[in-house]
Amino acid sequence: MSDANTHSDLAKSIGTALPSLPNPSELSSSNRALLLMAPLLAFELLIFVVPFFILLRISVTEGSDDTVYEAGTWSLEAYAEVFTSGLLRDVILYSFQLGVVVTVLSVVIGLFYAYAIWRSSGIVTSLLLLSVVMPLLTTLVIRTYAFTPLLAPTGTLNDVLLSLGLLSEPVQFVPATVGAVVGQLYIVLPYAVLAIYSVMATMDWGIVEAARDLGASRPRSFVEVVLPQVMPGIIVAAVISFAWSVGAYAAPDLLSNGITFAVHAEDLMLGDMRYSLAAALSVVMLLAMLLGVALISTVLNRFGGDFDLA
Amino acid sequence: MHRETLETIAFRAGYLALFALLVLPLVVVVATSFAASGRLAFPPESYSLAWYAEFFTDVRWLTAFENSIIVGVGTAILATALGVLAAFGQELDDGSRIGTIVGPLVLLPLLIPPVILGITLLMYFNEIGIRGSYVTLVLAHTLWATPLVYFVMRSVFSRFDWQQLDAASDLGAGPVQSFVHVVLPNVKHGVFVGGLLAFIISLQEFVMALFLSTASTETIPVLAWTEIRQALDPMVSVVSTFLILFSLVALALAVVATNLEWVSKQLS
Repeated sequence: MSDANTHSDLAKSIGTALPSLPNPSELSSSNRALLLMAPLLAFELLIFVVPFFILLRISVTEGSDDTVYEAGTWSLEAYAEVFTSGLLRDVILYSFQLGVVVTVLSVVIGLFYAYAIWRSSGIVTSLLLLSVVMPLLTTLVIRTYAFTPLLAPTGTLNDVLLSLGLLSEPVQFVPATVGAVVGQLYIVLPYAVLAIYSVMATMDWGIVEAARDLGASRPRSFVEVVLPQVMPGIIVAAVISFAWSVGAYAAPDLLSNGITFAVHAEDLMLGDMRYSLAAALSVVMLLAMLLGVALISTVLNRFGGDFDLA
Repeated sequence: MHRETLETIAFRAGYLALFALLVLPLVVVVATSFAASGRLAFPPESYSLAWYAEFFTDVRWLTAFENSIIVGVGTAILATALGVLAAFGQELDDGSRIGTIVGPLVLLPLLIPPVILGITLLMYFNEIGIRGSYVTLVLAHTLWATPLVYFVMRSVFSRFDWQQLDAASDLGAGPVQSFVHVVLPNVKHGVFVGGLLAFIISLQEFVMALFLSTASTETIPVLAWTEIRQALDPMVSVVSTFLILFSLVALALAVVATNLEWVSKQLS
């Protein structure tokens, strides 16, 4: 009886509520737009924004021996450890060094390759594009792993160099920092090439020809005409390369002995279960990385182009 | 004139060398998958299909394969729904403040190093009590796949003739009806490519999956990672070859639906 009552009450209240619900065709265009964007905004809020506040909260708790962190406590001890530990200082420094080296290489090589794609035509364009899209669509585990048989002391590169007489004894490219740089470069280069190429493709080749007709050499016409125009693409390429290389995980872990922040943080999280310290380290690295990104886009912006995240 | 010829030769040699270097790692993976011995060497000393036979009898790899497909399909559905709706809403929007933050907000997760995202999401999912299910992996991968779908659809919608929509509503079609019958048929290639890219992103994503998966939900890249840190044998090459093949097929499908130039630009 009572059940039936609740049901009929419910039905009645739904019945009265229904007409007041907005009817899609009566919504104004801008309200309809908001309604369509609402699921994505809610998703980003719940799975991206809120989790970062949780991270922030956990970073200021006390560490604990028996659980992952001491819930409900407030403490800055994790941050104190990040800033005073010699090990962590080395780890952070190594991450940024790797990030800077890979970014410079990625932008320079990316610029060259994007230019080659832009100047090519027909099947060559397709092949060159394919050569950057395919690695992009391959998991970074494979992209990193493929370098082991190539760079190992008994690997292909050493074999070739030894038989050519260029080396007298095998060089250890892997595990070593040079291996991490090569591996990480292979991870970010495709993105850099495409970011630069997508801007270049909108450029008019006629301007470059005009510069050459007026007597500019080829390198000079590249530096003075092409470079300023593709600056927005270069900035995107630099920002992506930098952000991902500072946070590099797979390449340094597999191809080098150097410990980056990401390798160390993974260890803290899944190995030692020290959540407070892992959270504090993440917060510090994120802020430092964003500072680096802001610096890169400011500096590059001075050379022309305007950077827009969207 | 002599200098120009030299420059041209150096330029060609430069990009051909880069082309070779970009393709080489993929060639290494495919070639080593046909190795006969258990030692990982390139080029292999002798060839066989032994490791392929091994793959199809290995329960762990087959389970991981199944997990990857489940997570990939889930990600493709969720990311496509969110991305298509939001991009469509953005077209109808007349410059509201909320409208202008959607683009940067949806792009931001791509700029955060995946290890930080993995740590953050693991702590968050622990906190709200969902762990060890496909849901966590799908949600994490959707964070990365949605920007691609969203920007693919923005670009597709920008070429759509919006007068058709006005015509539909003049003829008495409601908003949902006109979306399904007028807008969707015109942009279905874009939706397909967006969904496909979302699937590939999920299939290949590794770092977030490393943090969020458990023994029963581990995906192919996670299992591959565990394996290569224990022993370097050609099995990982076999799995990698399958993954590369998957991407090639997906890329071919996307290119048939649109063209390579366009797909490449969407990826950046």
